[in-house]
Amino acid sequence: MSFFRAGLQKLASVFRSSNQCGILSKSITNNAPVATQYVSNTASDIITSCNKLIEERSSRNFAIVHLLGKQWRVTDGDLLVVEGYWPPNIGDKITLDKVLLAATKDLSLIGRPIVQPGLVTVTATIISKGLSHTRTHFKKKRRKQFMRINFQRAQQTILRINSVVINNKINEPANNVF
Amino acid sequence: MSNSNLFMKTGFVRAPLQNGVGRYVCQLQRIVFKFCKSHGGSRGLRDFIEQDLVDFAKNNPSVVVYLKPRRHRSAVVVGEYLNGDRVWMSVNQKTHSEITKWIENLRTQQGNLSEIRLRKYQYTDHPSIQGPWTPFTFKNPELNLAELPNVKFGENNRLPISATEQLRLMFEKQKLSDVKTAE
Repeated sequence: MSFFRAGLQKLASVFRSSNQCGILSKSITNNAPVATQYVSNTASDIITSCNKLIEERSSRNFAIVHLLGKQWRVTDGDLLVVEGYWPPNIGDKITLDKVLLAATKDLSLIGRPIVQPGLVTVTATIISKGLSHTRTHFKKKRRKQFMRINFQRAQQTILRINSVVINNKINEPANNVF
Repeated sequence: MSNSNLFMKTGFVRAPLQNGVGRYVCQLQRIVFKFCKSHGGSRGLRDFIEQDLVDFAKNNPSVVVYLKPRRHRSAVVVGEYLNGDRVWMSVNQKTHSEITKWIENLRTQQGNLSEIRLRKYQYTDHPSIQGPWTPFTFKNPELNLAELPNVKFGENNRLPISATEQLRLMFEKQKLSDVKTAE
């Protein structure tokens, strides 16, 4: 009797050792490759449909660009005011290369931290460079005979965003321009 | 820090006539140099006129340049812009290099930037492209069809388990184990 019981235990341990999943575990592992193939198909489907959406230009694009330590959400025809020293002069056309995110109505390309160089082109024109109004820095400490008054004007550069274009190149290998 | 006073106008970022969308147009239209030929206060401006004015006029063919000598008056530069602004600036007793910088500033700005305090540093015609956020964006739409009051949506499951509840659960568990050992 005891011999019979030991045999049963051995049999049970064989089933238990096969991936802790019981008798059906083998058939489950057989199904797994089919599932992964399906996933890769959806990825390529998404890429082709995104490319199609971009090609059709059915809606307006926007991008989040990093410019002088600030992040701006820009779309075609926007005006930005950048404060502080910045070399570009009036009439210059520039491209804003640090694109953190680019999107249309139906899809978003999110950079880690910036999207692939050459994928998104944001062009801008500098339309004005001048000084801001006079800002007053007034400090006073009560009962301490302390008072300071400083005036300052910051340089202000006004930018016009001409275009935000997503090139139809999703999932292509990166060519590092910079 | 105070950016405003009673008489400081405020405004938003604008560019006249969609400037920069198709092409860029220099906003300075006319510049008038007023100076005295003999007084020392106009010395810097006279130096500028002698050395740099011809180059300035050549490089900016769209800007009309006037010289206005006036006897025994202080030196002044006046710029007039496409949006109708007129900027008056005293350059009396200023040196040649200072005047060069101020005139570059007059040339590059659009209108009188310094008379208004900007309320926003960005202007857009399209504030939202993917739709503005509401409390219901990215939420499961089953709430739309649920009849309230509903046990599922009304249950209070946000708070962590209380000490009393924990004690009660421990007591229940102990009772179960007692039953087992009795058997």
